[in-house]
Amino acid sequence: MSSGLVDETDRASSSLRDSVSTAMLVALAYFIGAELAFFIGTLSDKIFAPFWPPNIVLFCVFLLVPMRRWWIYTLITFPAHVVAELGVGMNLPQLLVAFATNVAVAGLNAGAVRLFADGRPWLGDPRKALIFVAATALVCPAVVALGGAFVPILGGATGNFSDFWAQWYASNALGSVTLAPVVLTWLCEPWPPISQVPEAKRSEALALSTALVVVCTVTFAVGPGTQGSSFLPALLYLPLPLIVWATVRFGIKGASGAIFIVTVVLIWRTLNSHNLFTGGDAESNVLAMQTFLIGLATPVLLLGAAINAIRHAEQTIRDSQERTAFAFASTHIALWEYGTAGERFWTSANCNAMLGLKPNVTLTRTSFLGAIHPQDIAAARDIIRTTASAAEPTTREFRVNLPDGETRWLLARGYAQRDKNGEITQTAGILTDVTDRKAVEFEAELQRRELSHLMRVSVMGELAGAIAHELNQPLAAILANAEAARRMLRQAPPDIDEAGAALDDIVHENKRASEVIRRMRRLLRKGDSKPEIVNLNDLIESTLKLLHSELISRHIKVDTNLGADVPIIWGDPVQLQQVLLNLAMNAMEAMSLVPPSRRVLAIASRHLNADSIEIVVRDRGHGLAPVSTKQLFEPFFTTKDHGLGLGLSICLTIVKSHGGELSLANHADGGVTAILTLPSRQIQTMAAK
Amino acid sequence: MSPLTFTVHIVDDDCGVLRAMARLLRTAGYDCRTFASPLQFLDEYDPSGPGCIVLDVAMGELDGLRLQAALRDRGVEQSVIFVTGKGDIPMSVQAMRAGAIDFLTKPVDGEALLAAIERARNDDTERRELHDERVSIEANLAKLTPREREVLTHVIAGRLNKQIASDLGTVEKTIKVHRGRMMSKMGVHSVAELVRVAERVGIAPHEKQ
Repeated sequence: MSSGLVDETDRASSSLRDSVSTAMLVALAYFIGAELAFFIGTLSDKIFAPFWPPNIVLFCVFLLVPMRRWWIYTLITFPAHVVAELGVGMNLPQLLVAFATNVAVAGLNAGAVRLFADGRPWLGDPRKALIFVAATALVCPAVVALGGAFVPILGGATGNFSDFWAQWYASNALGSVTLAPVVLTWLCEPWPPISQVPEAKRSEALALSTALVVVCTVTFAVGPGTQGSSFLPALLYLPLPLIVWATVRFGIKGASGAIFIVTVVLIWRTLNSHNLFTGGDAESNVLAMQTFLIGLATPVLLLGAAINAIRHAEQTIRDSQERTAFAFASTHIALWEYGTAGERFWTSANCNAMLGLKPNVTLTRTSFLGAIHPQDIAAARDIIRTTASAAEPTTREFRVNLPDGETRWLLARGYAQRDKNGEITQTAGILTDVTDRKAVEFEAELQRRELSHLMRVSVMGELAGAIAHELNQPLAAILANAEAARRMLRQAPPDIDEAGAALDDIVHENKRASEVIRRMRRLLRKGDSKPEIVNLNDLIESTLKLLHSELISRHIKVDTNLGADVPIIWGDPVQLQQVLLNLAMNAMEAMSLVPPSRRVLAIASRHLNADSIEIVVRDRGHGLAPVSTKQLFEPFFTTKDHGLGLGLSICLTIVKSHGGELSLANHADGGVTAILTLPSRQIQTMAAK
Repeated sequence: MSPLTFTVHIVDDDCGVLRAMARLLRTAGYDCRTFASPLQFLDEYDPSGPGCIVLDVAMGELDGLRLQAALRDRGVEQSVIFVTGKGDIPMSVQAMRAGAIDFLTKPVDGEALLAAIERARNDDTERRELHDERVSIEANLAKLTPREREVLTHVIAGRLNKQIASDLGTVEKTIKVHRGRMMSKMGVHSVAELVRVAERVGIAPHEKQ
């Protein structure tokens, strides 16, 4: 704590010491400025100094140091003021009033700029520049000039108060727009390291300054009566292109530098040559020169500030774009816009890379579609088309082939931008790399398929005996027919007709056996099963055939009631059969404890309404224990002694992936009713994909 | 007895198997009647002629073992041969205990089936011969007077005429006459023959009190 306080005190005292030593320098600058003005005044009888540099020194210092330190600088510059003014023979009241007005104009200028232009850079944009000019070249000097006008009066000068006011005002105003800007922007604003400034730019600055000096030197040496004096008004414009050039190319620094050069050269040429500003008495000459310079400097400063603001805005935009591009690139997102009028794409920088296109390729509809995986062209075409027509944002996924052979999944989301008449002006959206998500989904799907296949294998295992019996029947018939045929052919005479009939039956039975095997293999099939047209009634019958022997051995009667108007749907027949098989086997299992005479497995199908098909599988068992329906479908939940608890969970997943519903409930007359609803409109929507 | 008169009843709810087995048996000269429904079989079955029954075990309406029991309840004597797609030992034991003469597994070997049928036919023939014999014995028995029948039980018990006369409270001579008539009505020539015949129809010898 105490050490912190000591530090604090130290810093305060050290900054005080700093302030004092800086103030000494400021006092020196004040003194030199005053001497410079006096020096200019003594050089010629045509003019005296058009501005008063000490005030600018004070003004700049007040702008740069904290307000609470102003008194130090005021105090220390006072001796410099006294020394300088005494040197030109000022009396005490004159000297005091002069110092008071000098400090007042500097303080007012600095205060106003600080108050209204909120912080550095003081000439950073047109608004600040306007405040700067209005405060330091218009209002403040005009007000303080009311006091400043007394200085010559106190010195015994004779003349109009208004003339003194005008002199005092103009010299301070001129200083504010010619000297202050160059101090504030050249000395107080940061410069880029010289090594970072391109050679061309440095040469340009040098050439520009030289040209300006030369042009001004020539121009400001021409006066009435000299050669070429008929061009006088035109000559005054000669430096202007160079000034504007400097301003446009170098912003506020160029503007203030150019103004400074013009000011210095003009004063110098006026002192030692005959020009436009040497025609009258010293007072009017100076006033004319001041008016000219203020008139020139003010718009140039505003222009410079505007250029700086534009540069700053550009830089901000560039920074923002860089940040955005970095963000896009690191999140694998690209932006795109597609003008409906000219078939032209605008995209964020990483878009080409995401599409696997070279950076210099212009993205058009053609090059965009060319980047897409051949199988997904339709989806890509679709996103362009539907985005332009749909009211809602649309989403499509497609693959792109990168040059290194990698295939990535992209998700495109687009929406249409409309004008106030509702006309689409352009479409826009994002591209997201969803390869990782796709990989996870694919993996999950693979595992789901694997599990689903394992469950089918396990079901087939349970049915193995029944299926063996199913196969045995045709085999038995084949064997008996074959032996019968052999006997018939060995008879004398051979019974060719009957033997032929036996062979026909063999062929028939063989087909029957193949059918059993085919049904079994279809269920045991692994890997991709593609969606196809499914007749649910056929599927139910095929399932019951698969269960035929099992049903007989379990003494279960089957009651089917299949609606004739059940429409075909689009789906995965293997998976759907797995669901039917699972429901049927659950029903069969549920009836193992009821007397054989009551064992009935009822399966009904019907076209529920335009949108859906309902399949009801009902048993006559003892019904479900009171568990929540949700629980029944949870993985690893089972009510069976040897169940895995995955059957219904897998069934539900399959049904949901077909857009359907599956529910189980106890029937009022006993037993469980499983209700499976599948959407019949599926066939259109899936076919559209 | 011609094989054609021997009828094999085949009951199997699988039409293909049914037709094939019938075809095979017909080539061996059997007369076949096929039933795809066990209930229809129970309705239409006529056990009077010579024949046997081939039953499938696993049938939806009524399985083979139950059908066998139903037949036994009706007093059907024809031999039952089981064929099954998935026979197990307990099932075959149950079937054999209930009187089946064979338990064959599908696909059935033709020779095995024909052998079983042949055995069934022999059993049937034998049973029919026994039956016929019993019928003629019982016809003879019906001709006997109560006294002659009484004498018969004494004779097959190995008793002498004198002992029988004493037991029945009469004279030896009378017994001799009864015995002669009885032997002649029964169509036997020796006591040994009489004993065998009596045994066939279950007449027990007289037991001395």
